[in-house]
Amino acid sequence: MTEALLGLGAMLVLSWLRIPIAISMGLVGFIGLWWMRGLGPSMASATTVVYETGFEYTLSVVPLFILMGNFVTRAGMSKELFRAAYTFVGHLRGGLAMATVLACAGFGAICGSSIATAATMTKVAYPSMRGHGYSDELAVGTIAAGGTLGILIPPSTIMVIYGIMTETSIGKLFAAGMLPGLVAVILLCLAVRYICWRNPEAGPPAERASWKERLLALRDVWAVAALFAFAMGGIYLGVFTATEGAGAGAFGAFGFALARRALSWRTLFEVLVDSARTTAMLFVILVGALIFSNFVNFTSMPGDLKALITHWQLSPITVMVVICVIYILLGTAMEELSMILLTVPLFYPLVQSLGFDLVWFGIIIVVVVQIGLISPPVGMNMFVVKSMIPGMKTQTIFRGVMPFVAAMIVLLAILVAFPQISLWLPQRLNL
Amino acid sequence: MKRLDVPLQHALGLASAVVLFLMMMTTAVDVGGRYLFNKPLAGGFELTEIMLAALIYCGLPLVSARREHIVIDTFDGFFSRRLRRGLDIVAEVVCAAALAGVGFLIFKRAIRVGEYADTTSVLKLPLAPVVYLMATMIVIAALIHLFLIFVPHKDDDGKSVI
Repeated sequence: MTEALLGLGAMLVLSWLRIPIAISMGLVGFIGLWWMRGLGPSMASATTVVYETGFEYTLSVVPLFILMGNFVTRAGMSKELFRAAYTFVGHLRGGLAMATVLACAGFGAICGSSIATAATMTKVAYPSMRGHGYSDELAVGTIAAGGTLGILIPPSTIMVIYGIMTETSIGKLFAAGMLPGLVAVILLCLAVRYICWRNPEAGPPAERASWKERLLALRDVWAVAALFAFAMGGIYLGVFTATEGAGAGAFGAFGFALARRALSWRTLFEVLVDSARTTAMLFVILVGALIFSNFVNFTSMPGDLKALITHWQLSPITVMVVICVIYILLGTAMEELSMILLTVPLFYPLVQSLGFDLVWFGIIIVVVVQIGLISPPVGMNMFVVKSMIPGMKTQTIFRGVMPFVAAMIVLLAILVAFPQISLWLPQRLNL
Repeated sequence: MKRLDVPLQHALGLASAVVLFLMMMTTAVDVGGRYLFNKPLAGGFELTEIMLAALIYCGLPLVSARREHIVIDTFDGFFSRRLRRGLDIVAEVVCAAALAGVGFLIFKRAIRVGEYADTTSVLKLPLAPVVYLMATMIVIAALIHLFLIFVPHKDDDGKSVI
């Protein structure tokens, strides 16, 4: 236990001193294993991790899903999605905010990144809400919170990374995210209703659309539905593996961006290089995390944690609640990707030994990341929205997201209390 | 150095873009062939693996050059400007040393793969060149970190991917 704690401490100190987290993890893991087993085995272990991670077929799912997300972002479907949702709920009080949530959910179904979802929705939804006299708090809060649906509704970068780290089926994780995604949409819409009930000026109703307009608007989003049904449906029905689904989805999104004339040679090149860089960055951090977790697994830490829990006679659900609280606290001040890469290797063997399902735990992880993304002071989604609206005050965003943070914590509680919401679909689909 | 940096980034960017595009096409042709014509692409699996390795390691120097490795900046407010600059230099040296070490290990692995003449199982493609490419790219990334010692940070460095 001492070695692992020392290692963890050393790694945190290095990261706080602005050494990239991937290098901190890799370096401490390497030195730790060297100390415990000798230089030779440690070098062999590091070489194998670097070499095999590079050649691992199942990991090609990462660049392909990132590419798919970047193509659909470039294709600019967010406008059509927002308009379609708007025609259905725009006439309600807070309707445009609810339309934003729905459009985010729709975009999340073809894009696995919450940052991209929030960024693309800001461009469309913010001007429209502003134009209808919505309060800034409500507008930016909804966009920041709605954007996090990008990682809960499959595809999802976080689920892919979690699946790789814990050797959990990515197809199952994708299926498990569906129902919690719907619950999240409902809770976020309820939060909008609550805000408008407290302050009716925050979200005045817009004009009602006719059924003809609604059907016309729906016709514009058929491509999103088709792309989702094609890539995700293929994975759900077991026709595709996750990698094949990602490849087919990326190809579909490519064709789709071409059809919408959203690609020139130059933008195609940009999309590809952007995706390649993001992939490389993720892999470096993944390699670092794997070297570090090799070291942790070699220490007595995993066993000691279990012994500690037995000693204190903690029930599994108490441990789970403690883990969630730790995550919510960490999420306020830490960058979320580093947070899960750091902690998942420590927690998942424990969670598994307590008899919990790792697919379910994956969904819990996604939701704590979502909360982290919109909880002040450090949350990427808030910063993205801020960076895209000139003159937007950080304080306004912080105030705006609070009701949604509360809604997401309710979501977390519901998902912890009822694992069936996450596990029902993957079990039905026999993945 | 600047004169070397720009063409290098262009070349690596182009290489990784082409590899990623081919990877997408390979998977799509493989899947299409299998389900539509019942004829998968021979060795599509292996091609994807090799392309993944090439993609990641061609991308690595680009990530380093643009300072896109994730850094925890929670405590930056506590550091003075000069201290931050000092820490950044230390960080670049540590990154360069760590990457150079990994590059060395992968070079050793490449030599071994070459000696055993390892190939992929279906298409019999030799693996050694790919491993040499990995090692070279890691060393280039290490050199870039050394170069970055002399380039002060800007405020908007780094990005997130979630």
